[in-house]
Amino acid sequence: MSSESSKKRKPKVIRSDGAPAEGKRTRSDTEQEGKYYSEEAEVDLRDPGRDYELYKYTCQELQRLMAEIQDLKSRGGKDAQAVEIEDRRIQSCVHFMTLKKLNRLAHIRLKKGRDQTHEAKQKVDAYHLQLQNLLYEVMHLQKEITKCLEFKSKHEEIDLVSLEEFYKEAPPDISKAEVTMGDPHQQTLARLDWELEQRKRLAEKYRECLSNKEKILKEIEVKKEYLSSLQPRLNSIMQASLPVQEYLFMPFDQAHKQYETARHLPPPLYVLFVQATAYGQACGECEAGREEGLWEQRPRPGGTGSTACRGKLPGPAQKPSAHRKSSQPPRQDKMLSVAIEGSVDEAKALFKPPEDSQDDESDSDAEEEQTTKRRRPTLGVQLDDKRKEMLKRHPLSVLLDLKCKDDSVLHLTFYYLMNLNIMTVKARVTTATELITPISAGDLLSPDSVLSCLYPGDHGKKTPNPANQYQFDKVGILTLRDYVLDLGHPYLWVQKLGGLHFPKEQPQHTVITDHSLSASHMETTMKLLKTRVQSRLALHKQFASLEHGIVPVTSDCHYLFPAKVVSRLVKWVTIAHEDYTELHFTKDIVEAGLAGDTNLYYMALVERGTAKLQAAVVLNPGYSSIPPIFQLCLNWKGEKTNNNDDNIRAMESEVNVCYKELCGPRPGHQLLTNQLQRLCVLLDVYLETESHDDSVEGPKEFPQEKMCLRLFRGPSRIKPFKYNHPQGFFSHR
Amino acid sequence: MEVFQALQRLHMTIFSQSVSPCGKFLAAGNNYGQIAIFSLSAALSSEAKEESKKPMVTFQAHDGPVYSMVSTDRHLLSAGDGEVKAWLWAEILKKGCKELWRRQPPYRTSLEVPEINALLLVPKENLLILAGGDCQLHAMDLETGTFMWALRGHTDYIHCLALRERSPEVLSGGEDGAVRLWDLRTAKEVQTIEVYKHEECSRPHNGRWIGCLATDSDWMVCGGGPALTLWHLRSSTPTTVFPMRAPQKHVTFYQDLILSAGQGRCVNQWQLSGELKAQVPGSSPGLLSLSLNQQPAAPECKVLTAAGNSCRVDVFTNLGYRAFSLSF
Repeated sequence: MSSESSKKRKPKVIRSDGAPAEGKRTRSDTEQEGKYYSEEAEVDLRDPGRDYELYKYTCQELQRLMAEIQDLKSRGGKDAQAVEIEDRRIQSCVHFMTLKKLNRLAHIRLKKGRDQTHEAKQKVDAYHLQLQNLLYEVMHLQKEITKCLEFKSKHEEIDLVSLEEFYKEAPPDISKAEVTMGDPHQQTLARLDWELEQRKRLAEKYRECLSNKEKILKEIEVKKEYLSSLQPRLNSIMQASLPVQEYLFMPFDQAHKQYETARHLPPPLYVLFVQATAYGQACGECEAGREEGLWEQRPRPGGTGSTACRGKLPGPAQKPSAHRKSSQPPRQDKMLSVAIEGSVDEAKALFKPPEDSQDDESDSDAEEEQTTKRRRPTLGVQLDDKRKEMLKRHPLSVLLDLKCKDDSVLHLTFYYLMNLNIMTVKARVTTATELITPISAGDLLSPDSVLSCLYPGDHGKKTPNPANQYQFDKVGILTLRDYVLDLGHPYLWVQKLGGLHFPKEQPQHTVITDHSLSASHMETTMKLLKTRVQSRLALHKQFASLEHGIVPVTSDCHYLFPAKVVSRLVKWVTIAHEDYTELHFTKDIVEAGLAGDTNLYYMALVERGTAKLQAAVVLNPGYSSIPPIFQLCLNWKGEKTNNNDDNIRAMESEVNVCYKELCGPRPGHQLLTNQLQRLCVLLDVYLETESHDDSVEGPKEFPQEKMCLRLFRGPSRIKPFKYNHPQGFFSHR
Repeated sequence: MEVFQALQRLHMTIFSQSVSPCGKFLAAGNNYGQIAIFSLSAALSSEAKEESKKPMVTFQAHDGPVYSMVSTDRHLLSAGDGEVKAWLWAEILKKGCKELWRRQPPYRTSLEVPEINALLLVPKENLLILAGGDCQLHAMDLETGTFMWALRGHTDYIHCLALRERSPEVLSGGEDGAVRLWDLRTAKEVQTIEVYKHEECSRPHNGRWIGCLATDSDWMVCGGGPALTLWHLRSSTPTTVFPMRAPQKHVTFYQDLILSAGQGRCVNQWQLSGELKAQVPGSSPGLLSLSLNQQPAAPECKVLTAAGNSCRVDVFTNLGYRAFSLSF
């Protein structure tokens, strides 16, 4: 209760707190105020023991008064008692006042005590702190002392020269023997001085050496730079010498690189490569001479074979060399360029394990046969894999680019089938100018057929190696024919170029690659290839006109035909081989075996008036050395073929057998055009010379305009089909 | 060049045949001027191989086609491109093919050399009669090799000749459609039959030309543009017209038959009455010459051979069927 009251009064107390200072100052000024605030001072004056006695006494008095009031009240007399009670109440109030005072005093005393304790405590704390600081300082100093005591001088680590050595070597102004002998400190200093001196000297030396080294390094650097700058200069010299090399026909550089690669070629391709390169070089030399000299001598070589021409050629070996070369302009393009394609690494990898794989294969073969039944589902896949393995080609291939005069290029890629030991070729023709492809010329330049039958009967569909058939049987390949599109064609001449010679009938035979075989075929084959491309391109051009019904007779062939030709070509279409064989008038050709499926077939229609002449044409891939073959069927007053009309037969023979005079200028690529034009002329002659039937009224449909010596000749009553050029009349052959 | 050879064979026409005097060999001449000698005895023998059906010798005789050949008892005479050449059979068989002599009838100058379509031997007079492109019959004395006379009359070239043995008369048929009879003794024209003017046999759409002739005493058979017709010479009347549409190129009497051939594969055998006795197909699309080997020296080689628009000579051992073909 008392604490609560004290709290309630706290502000007062505070005010009294602040007041006492004022009070103290003002005590002398105002007694009244001093009294009010002097309780604090009063506390100092009063004895707590007595206050306690007073308190006890007051409490007893109160208790007694209370008890008397209690007693009076319980006795009950009202009036008298009330005065007594009032009296007593007043007395109690006084006592209470005393109690209150005492309480306040106690509070002040408590506060005072507290303040005192606090003050004392603060003092103690300050002292304690000071003590601690001091203790710390002591500790630190102790530590420093130990540190100092434990300090090790650097010089102790330095290896000094021994004493004797020092006195022997050091100059006296450093050693100062008289001072230092006795004093070890001075001695150590002197020794250190000496050490320093020596080290300085050594450092100087070291720097010198370093700079020396730097210099030498720089020198090396310069020299290195010089060397490295030499390489590009050499290269540039090499580069610059290339034209000179070319000019002098000495392509050492390329050749060297190629030879490097060529070492990894399989033997047949290597033979081919070597021979082709050799031929290319020899050709490059003699080509120019040929073009200048030979053609001029023979402005229009008629039907003479190419062999005669070849005989006249200066052989590559007989060519006079340096003198001649230097007088020629540099050839920009070689007729034949040889390159190697493919990954050399693969080829190398192939070379390492030559035998293992094959052994494995044969082993697995045996195994497989034993377990065929169990493994049936996978058999097909295995066979497939084996087929692939068997038809695998060597990663390297040889690329030949054969350039013709009109800048069209025949690209030949030769492959080697390692497991079959045959070579194949893929061909592609590029021309200098874009070609408009006539519909009927579809197959002319297709890679599949462009080289077919380069040599008679060489279709390139069958494997030339008889041993292959056995290999095929093993893996279930019927013929190579199904794979040629993918692999290239294994023409016989390709084998020969690769020096592979296969006997015709003997089944198993060791096949070795032979340079001489390749060499003997190289020139002929290259010429044939060139001719083939040119003839195909020529045909291509001709077809483009023929399809529009124009027979493109060139000006140098005009002398073969009369000026006026009335019959016109109206149709030129390609037909299928089967369609050709089914025509009724082509039986003879089919029976004679001249209508193989490698040939191309066409149907021409020549018209004049009501007469329609159908001509079925067989175009041999060997055009133009092998002429196109015409079979005729004339629809005019009934159907006439070689079976029922000798003159139709004669006309066929005129174009088919007497084709040589129609070849035109060498190399005779105009043959087809000329044959067709000739056919038109023949039809004119046939129609105009047909004897007039007297019984029929009216004029002849075809009045005779051609000048003929005689209309018929010989038992077969052949018409005058032969045209005599300058005079322009027709006679019999 | 294989193709070229195949083409040549394909377009070959065998114009003429002649059997050697010994009867064992047959010469055939083609349109390329080649003459091939076949050994009939080898081809007919029982051990004949394919080889024996090929010519034993082939040689280039003329530049142009060999239209006609005859054999004397020692020589083979061939003609075609305006010249007649003689070859010794004995030498040919030894494969030495060198011409013995060559003669050219005296032609009037012309732009082209007329061909010789027919040769005819007149054994009694030792004469060779040549006829062809220049519309004349030239008579050459085989003894001296001189041309004795020429018979003019045809207006177009002459296709064929035939000899009437008994009265020495020669018949000639030509492109002008006339068959003329010439008397050898007087060297004059005796008779002219203009076949195309007779309606029975005239076929204007085929032309007038007479392609073949054969005689037997008073009978003559001729054909060509007009139908094949049997004529009685003395009365100059057609007695039988044979119903054959295709123009005939060769006709001959054989026993009591007439054999004819021409356009078409068959050798036709006719009765004199005009009935077709048989048609025996051969291998050529058209036939130009028939040859009957009737040499008494080689009875085993008695065959009929037929040749024409192919490189094959069909051999008929009897008249019924083709036994095999000889081939160039």
